Amino acid sequence: MTRVDTAKTIKERAACLDKIAREVRERIINMIYRAGSGHPGGALSAADIATALYFDILNIDPKNPRWPDRDRFILSKGHACPVLYACLAMRGYFASKHLDTLRKFESILQGHPIHKTPGVDMTTGSLGHGLSIGLGMALDGRLRKKDYYVYVLLGDGEINEGLVWEAAMACSKFHLDTLIAIIDKNRLQMDGACEDVMPTGDIASKFRAFGWEAFNMDGHNMEDILLTVEKAYKVKGRPVAIVADTVKGRGVSYMENRFEWHGKCPDRDQYKCALKEIREAEQ
Amino acid sequence: MKFDNESMREVFGKTLVELGEKHDALIVMDADLNTSTRTVLFKKRFPDRFVQCGIAEGNMFGVAGGLSYAGFVPFPVTFAAFASRKALDVIFMNICCPKLNVKIPGCYAGVTAGEGGPSHNSAEDIAIMRSLPHMRVIDPGDNNELRSAMNEMMAYDGPVYFRVPKVIPPLLMEEMQAFRWAKGIVIREGTDVSLIGTGIMTSICVKAAEFLEAEGIHAEVIHMPSIKPIDEDLIVKTAKKTGRIVTVENGSVYGGFGSAVAEVLVEKYPVKLDAVGIKDSTFGSAPIRDLLIHHKLTPKDVAERAKNILHAKNVQ
Repeated sequence: MTRVDTAKTIKERAACLDKIAREVRERIINMIYRAGSGHPGGALSAADIATALYFDILNIDPKNPRWPDRDRFILSKGHACPVLYACLAMRGYFASKHLDTLRKFESILQGHPIHKTPGVDMTTGSLGHGLSIGLGMALDGRLRKKDYYVYVLLGDGEINEGLVWEAAMACSKFHLDTLIAIIDKNRLQMDGACEDVMPTGDIASKFRAFGWEAFNMDGHNMEDILLTVEKAYKVKGRPVAIVADTVKGRGVSYMENRFEWHGKCPDRDQYKCALKEIREAEQ
Repeated sequence: MKFDNESMREVFGKTLVELGEKHDALIVMDADLNTSTRTVLFKKRFPDRFVQCGIAEGNMFGVAGGLSYAGFVPFPVTFAAFASRKALDVIFMNICCPKLNVKIPGCYAGVTAGEGGPSHNSAEDIAIMRSLPHMRVIDPGDNNELRSAMNEMMAYDGPVYFRVPKVIPPLLMEEMQAFRWAKGIVIREGTDVSLIGTGIMTSICVKAAEFLEAEGIHAEVIHMPSIKPIDEDLIVKTAKKTGRIVTVENGSVYGGFGSAVAEVLVEKYPVKLDAVGIKDSTFGSAPIRDLLIHHKLTPKDVAERAKNILHAKNVQ
């Protein structure tokens, strides 16, 4: 599957992306069900953002995964990797048959991303590391006079990690306007609501206080996603954080807004029900 | 071999509750993993003594150090991978250097995060924790021993790291033997070669010894739950008896359990030693059983290594 025709209107692009996102969600469910374990909640909340990135926003070449001028994408919330693997397979980085090997012995698709997987730029899975890596990659781009962008997708639970804020301070210091951090704000983490586990407060304001520009967007509205990223390109001299309002488990009714589905595999009936709902979803 | 009917993490969670009933000063801390690590049981029973720190391990261990100064006995709980690799400097500076009374479980230790892959499995924890000042290190072999070790560590005023694998373990000993610091247990007497295991790997040694027995080789099996301090006398005693040692761990032999045994032997009674574990590698995503097979950590592999070392020449 190729990138959406960027000559089309925003509305047309969004309609195409919505359709692709349904297939991404289907693959996420298939993959986790066959693996017998994995993290559906956060993969589904990030499905629309990842689809917009991989099928519209990112300047990448699946035939040449290490193309030096490519945009970089770091899935800092590494446990959501089924969404990444679905997008990579659909863009043609590797054959879709690999999706059935998720979490199995010697699979190229590990339980958390490793850089050996075609299209994966960095090993993640231990939370809080992605922004530092993104900062390094963005600095590399500046030093070598490349104009690629670096996108880092973080979870709202993940920003509990102190390292995120060390990186946030540094990104601002270096005025890295080619770095865009997207926070998948699904309001839930493994053991409950972020508000209870560790309140994150107003995330956009926090990034602004660290010297960033920050926007909010609806992480399930393709038009909003595309327009907000366009807006980010216009910001010069500082990094941009985009706080995406999302729903954990989005697209599968019994998973939506349930922290219990952070890291649980559906049983056979739940699996069938999930696929049915995703296929029948009207956008 | 009989298996227990409960996973080690469940026993860990229940034992925390039992200890909580006895020790008012015991505090459990969490980095957003309480359903996985089963500290959720403690959270329900003692909500006032449960501190949710969020996904911020460095901070959690620092707070643990602070709490223990006030006389509390904190159990900051996360996966072995994150305790050993992510929070290391805080543990060194603010728990070990001042010798504070903090008990650190390494949940999902070794290969037992399985499908989670390299980020969540931990091959390095024994080597890392063993190197820290004042830190004691335990890798319990079964549920009874885990429970016993957790009771015993309450009597030690200092930092302890103990592994809590995510497995339903075999019952290593028919009769409950209490955990004691620096005490190994002879599980099976033998004269030809000594298999020394730690944690859940001792059960692998027991099976390996059965394979060897079928070939007329009498292997001694020793279980060594207390890695630091270690039972130097027992190591030297078995070395004198068999002259051949095979150590078995699910972790890196570089600095790990094999190294700990080797250090004793080199100093006190040099004999041939072969350390079974992994080298320069990670535990990738797969069911635990597949990982053990791939990394040659099965009873057959251990038996094979024992036979090889039997045929090796003496040290001097």
